[in-house]
Amino acid sequence: MDDDSKGSHLSVVVDLSPLYWARSALPAPENEFPLTLAAFLAQLLAFLNAHVACAHENTLAVFGAFPGKSILLYASSAPIPDGLAPDTNSANAYPPFNAVDAAVVQRITAELDALPEQDEEAPSALVGALAKALCYVNRFTLPPSANSKAQANGFHPGVLPDPRILVLSVSPDLATSYIPVMNAIFSAQKLKATIDVCQIYGPNTVFLQQAAHLTGGSYIFLERRDALLQYLIMSFLPPPAIRRTLSVPTQEQVDFRAACFCHKRIIDIGFVCSVCLSIFCAPLPVCTTCR
Amino acid sequence: MPPRRDAEYMDVDSDSDVSIGGRKGKGKEKAGEKRRKDKGKGKATEAAYTWEASYTRSWDTVQEDEAGSLQGAVEDWMARGRRRRLLAPAAPVRRTIIRHLVLLLDLSTSMLDRDMRPTRFDLMLQYAREFIVEWFDQNPLGQIGVVGMRAGIGERVGEMSGNPQDVLKAIADRHKLEPTGEPSLQNSIELARSSMNHLPTHSSREILIIFGSLTTCDPHNIHDTLDACVANKIRISVVALAAEMKICRELCDKTGGQFGVAMNEGHFKDLLFELIPPPAQRALSRAAGAGAANPAADLMMMGFPTRLPDASPPSLCVCHSELRSEGFLCPRCLAKVCDVPTDCDICDLMVVSSPHLARSYHHLFPVKPYTAVASMADPSSSNGCHGCARVFPIAGLSGVSEGMSPVGRYRCPECFGEFCSDCDVFVHDVLHCCPGCGK
Repeated sequence: MDDDSKGSHLSVVVDLSPLYWARSALPAPENEFPLTLAAFLAQLLAFLNAHVACAHENTLAVFGAFPGKSILLYASSAPIPDGLAPDTNSANAYPPFNAVDAAVVQRITAELDALPEQDEEAPSALVGALAKALCYVNRFTLPPSANSKAQANGFHPGVLPDPRILVLSVSPDLATSYIPVMNAIFSAQKLKATIDVCQIYGPNTVFLQQAAHLTGGSYIFLERRDALLQYLIMSFLPPPAIRRTLSVPTQEQVDFRAACFCHKRIIDIGFVCSVCLSIFCAPLPVCTTCR
Repeated sequence: MPPRRDAEYMDVDSDSDVSIGGRKGKGKEKAGEKRRKDKGKGKATEAAYTWEASYTRSWDTVQEDEAGSLQGAVEDWMARGRRRRLLAPAAPVRRTIIRHLVLLLDLSTSMLDRDMRPTRFDLMLQYAREFIVEWFDQNPLGQIGVVGMRAGIGERVGEMSGNPQDVLKAIADRHKLEPTGEPSLQNSIELARSSMNHLPTHSSREILIIFGSLTTCDPHNIHDTLDACVANKIRISVVALAAEMKICRELCDKTGGQFGVAMNEGHFKDLLFELIPPPAQRALSRAAGAGAANPAADLMMMGFPTRLPDASPPSLCVCHSELRSEGFLCPRCLAKVCDVPTDCDICDLMVVSSPHLARSYHHLFPVKPYTAVASMADPSSSNGCHGCARVFPIAGLSGVSEGMSPVGRYRCPECFGEFCSDCDVFVHDVLHCCPGCGK
């Protein structure tokens, strides 16, 4: 680690779409390596604990993207609410691990239970969660202001050294979120935050590939899903400064495709308005964005 | 971003008590701007221009509240930004995204004047660099050329280029740009005009003049040049450092540009940076342009390539015929080009990467301004910011100005999420996407 005294910040964005997790858990004929949500969470928690254990100063925030909703599951700067207080009778557990595990698991369970019964599931709010992660990074990159409660909590606000955002995605690309994802990428560039992506289930996502490429992070498409924890620890645990000396898997090709504004299809050849640069999949008599 | 700007103005001001050359009236930067904005407060009218200003103490411009905190001053600054955003028109305007700009720098002896510190010349170079970086950030498909005017002629300092590094390199060496002689507006405008003659009609042609002199020495009638610029649809904007000249005003008015006289260093920067967002297209040019004659010509065919990694097997590129591994594949003919944006040499398709285009989309789809929550009775059940999870203050601030929320909460009109003031600024200035509704 280049500077031990500062630690590093990790924001994890977890895609928790029940539909795709259910598909991911289907046994052999559908999936060669089925992965259930419970197995995933166990591996994720081990990874989060590993990050907390790396250095005392390391900070962590976990955001969950549920269908149509995104929430903060855990933040190391915020006090744990009373209802989520860790189990005190497990004397053998390291308290910070306990706090992360309890908060993440309990909030996910509560949110999943509260989901309305619907035939058609709303797409998961990955963009909202990503935007929140950026707001969170921005909050600690800003100089401390007098009304922030952070000082009162004994957390030293100040500049976060190389903030990272890890996106664990299971849903395919959502073409409607093209512009927000792009905006999020540019904000991450301005904040000098790295976005790492691990696509756990489903096809490659074009937008997240671009996010990782443009912010200097790594994009990993998980082939052996039973080995998730190994991928996480080998590729995403070391901060970017160390990764240069390690041989972290890089992406083979980056797809620079875009989504058209008219039908939200992902296209490789499009018609672009010469004035406002809106993208259309078919020639139109007049641009519908700027008219 | 207010805190940053605030810090910057503190340190520009902090040396205002150091007197260089024993002249009074130089130590007035943003302070002057601040006063200008709240004119009518007695103090404001008597000190507007740098040369009229008296000795200023930086510590007087920031007012502490009773508790000795600077919070009030910072909040006030942010409120001003908020109000400006609310005033902005909500309806979408048509903007020119592919821009071509020639930056005309005055390099005459009048730029050695020290009324802006360290000198007008050094300040101009410094701001020009910041301007170029920010301009390319917001106009990634644009191009900038640099022309200097000194010793009665216009000289090409930097060729038209879409790469910010090239443009910055052109003005990096201040010794090559040492000011001498008289400026010539006509010569340099003609030079700039000729370098933009070949450009396609859908792109904008703009000239930005930073002018410190009060004279111009021209070989012919400058009004002919002005008419030629109008005919060529070149938009001229002038930032004057000395005083208003009729010809400069006329250049801007007739071509549809902006004219401004910088009162002090802070105002100079504001005037310059106002020219960064893509200009709204005028109704006149719209009617005459694509809308009426040939509407289909409005759309260009573009391809979004696939990038090959460094480790791929090397092959010849179509642009230089060199053997290399990295490159971009044209989606139509699968030829390999070295860099984007470019026109494919084989099938002539315009190849751009989608991030290039996406950088300007926030101009088209801005986030709706958040409304300030007025009282404690109003707030919903949430006790933390919807974006960064910061806990909201329990007690309301007293004596806040218009547009500020006394409880520190700002609500999105779409998803009714409540945000703190830092997130409000961040979402509207940087992120351009509401964390609650994801739009």
